Amino acid sequence: MNWFKGCICTLLIVSIYSFKGDKSNSNSVIGKTVKDFSLKNVDSKIISLSAFPDAKGFVVVFTCNHCPFAKLYPKRLNDLNSKYKPLGVPLIAINSMDTLVYEEETFELMQKKSADEKLNFPYLYDATQTVGKNFGALHTPHAYIIWKENNNWVIKYSGAIDDNGEHPEKATPYIANALDNLINNRPVSKPETQSFGCRIFYRAK
Amino acid sequence: MKKTLLSFAIIFVVLSNMKAQTYNNLWIPDTLIGTTFNLAVKDTFKQLLSGNQTITGGINNNFWGPTLFFNKGDTVHMNVKNKLNDSTTIHWHGMHLPAVMDGGPHQVIPPGTLWQPYWKVTNNAGTYWYHPHLHEMTLEHLSKGIGGFIIVRDPAESALTLPRKYGVDDIPLVLTSRRYDASNQFVTTNVSYGDYMLTNGTPSAQVSLPKQYVRLRILNAEIERGYDLGFSDNRTFYIIANDGGLVNAPVAVTRVKLMVGERVEIMVNLGNDLVGSSIDLKAYNSGQAFGFPGAEPASSGQFGSLLNNIDFPVLHINVASTTANPVTSVPPALASNVYWTSANATVTRTLNITNGNPGPNPIPFNFDNASFVLNTINKTVNLNDIEKWTVVNNNVFGHTFHIHDVEFKIVDRNGSTAAVGTHEAGWKDVMYVPKGESVSFVAKFDDYADAIHPFMYHCHFSNHEDDGMMGQFVVTNPAGFNEIKKEIISFSLFPNPTEDKLTIKMGDINTEVYYITIVNISGKAVMMLPQPEMSKGIDVSTLAKGVYFVQLMDKKTKSITTQKFVKN
Repeated sequence: MNWFKGCICTLLIVSIYSFKGDKSNSNSVIGKTVKDFSLKNVDSKIISLSAFPDAKGFVVVFTCNHCPFAKLYPKRLNDLNSKYKPLGVPLIAINSMDTLVYEEETFELMQKKSADEKLNFPYLYDATQTVGKNFGALHTPHAYIIWKENNNWVIKYSGAIDDNGEHPEKATPYIANALDNLINNRPVSKPETQSFGCRIFYRAK
Repeated sequence: MKKTLLSFAIIFVVLSNMKAQTYNNLWIPDTLIGTTFNLAVKDTFKQLLSGNQTITGGINNNFWGPTLFFNKGDTVHMNVKNKLNDSTTIHWHGMHLPAVMDGGPHQVIPPGTLWQPYWKVTNNAGTYWYHPHLHEMTLEHLSKGIGGFIIVRDPAESALTLPRKYGVDDIPLVLTSRRYDASNQFVTTNVSYGDYMLTNGTPSAQVSLPKQYVRLRILNAEIERGYDLGFSDNRTFYIIANDGGLVNAPVAVTRVKLMVGERVEIMVNLGNDLVGSSIDLKAYNSGQAFGFPGAEPASSGQFGSLLNNIDFPVLHINVASTTANPVTSVPPALASNVYWTSANATVTRTLNITNGNPGPNPIPFNFDNASFVLNTINKTVNLNDIEKWTVVNNNVFGHTFHIHDVEFKIVDRNGSTAAVGTHEAGWKDVMYVPKGESVSFVAKFDDYADAIHPFMYHCHFSNHEDDGMMGQFVVTNPAGFNEIKKEIISFSLFPNPTEDKLTIKMGDINTEVYYITIVNISGKAVMMLPQPEMSKGIDVSTLAKGVYFVQLMDKKTKSITTQKFVKN
């Protein structure tokens, strides 16, 4: 059973704050294009992809403040950004969690997390959850690599950051491997893995 | 030369087998004792396989929760904080309590909210449990590992010479299994059985138990799988308790079937074993008739499993030294329960297990051709009535039937009193309803009437329950109040602003409060207090500073009136 495919969840308001996941299938996102976006960073500046004219691509990681599994990754994300931003692939983190439901996901606590963890990359507030929905982000963390092709941003990788949350020294670095492929103009050897962690529930309209 | 090679081959095989027999020490849940219990339900993760960690859920732990010790007669107060990424509920399985405290599908706890039910413990000493019960999400939340044991003590049980040194000679065992995907994550869709055994969340569990009589409190918390339990040398052991406490006399057996949701307490004698020797508690699940959950031959797929239709170990027991003051015998008499019989019942009801057949537009299993609807009350029971319910399974597969609120007595199987098993002769709250059987129980629905909040009855297979094999009943007091027109309830809050405690003064001292919800400025519930004890005030010290609203519902008219307060 491919859990990854079975878990696109939309938020159904059952009563005012109770909700359930509605499971439907998703097809592969590899090769799809994503639109540019403008979101507020923890320094209160608005960030968009077009603000990085020299970028070949981006690592876009959907993460959040409260999820225990996502909390394992800040140092690894800093390391990825340190290594690949100079090579033209900056990392951007986005929080698409529903701030109405999760008190820990406020912008102020995002600012605190960014400062406490000394994050060296933007940590953006997706208040309307629009960007998370556009990407189809399922969990925190859920990582993507997007690459510039004919002035479009094309998804080249979707899934986990690596395959061992608690023991990075034992992990296969999916993101780093995919970036090494892309930078060397090779196809991504493993373009899709499963993301897991805390499910991102999208508010119903 | 051939002989040497053969010897090497034998040694190799023996060594490989020895290497294969690696065990992990059984995790024994922590204990919480007293009358106030703080339970944080949370997302977490656990190293269950080599490689990546598995996303799990736990209560104060990273899988499962603490064992709660209650004393019969105490009033227990629960502080359930939902720190999950999802709404959930916590049901106190087997507890006799008001429906509004029961933690069924109606008592939804949103993420971040504190739910504070409380009740007087009237259950007999025994092994109960608590687990999530959010409709359509029970399988997923249970599979994460959310749940825990409740052990009730009472003077009658305490007066007996029984093993009760928790974790030493009195061991809780929760039996489950899980299927994993390629990323080491639990599979929770299209799954009826796990592939790998977890005993107290421990894969390949072993435990050291003293050379004497020990007591095992065993709970089946599977999705569907039944366990035909026994020991690897077929030794006799003794059933001393069912779901609702001690049986009247120990029942000597070599096997006991334990189906989903059921608990059994057994005593087994390790006094004749050598220190350092081992014995396995096993599931003898091979060769069960079709309809026994887990007997299906397939090893994969929705109805298959690597553990189906085989015998497999659930606990490797290493015999250790005898403790001080060991229990050396099984008391010949345990309790003097007086059970209901069919003759006591003044109301009879029949539930048919329907649907569940594959087809082009399959309807999942349900009762009387009606799947669960959250706002439909299926049965109304008069307070203090003694009722006989018969569950008829002229269908394709076995199920376990659980009813909230009461402990019942199974009075007949297929109309025969004699056909009720000696292993299920005590108070029960779950009963196995095999394919082709009708099973009847009798229960008294006393103490708690509530026309609004229902109790559940359902198949305890979490996938069946999630798919609608559930109904609900209210217990009403014919002599009590019926619905009265809504009115505004007068009350005042002080001090306001407050720093820690909020006192509510009712305008009419005769007004009884049914429910208080405290919501924050953005409308999110932060505290849920069913039937709060008003004289104690409300402890709001943990709330962040800000403006909040008290939504107060009175018991008589169920009107909700809202007032604002400030937390400093």
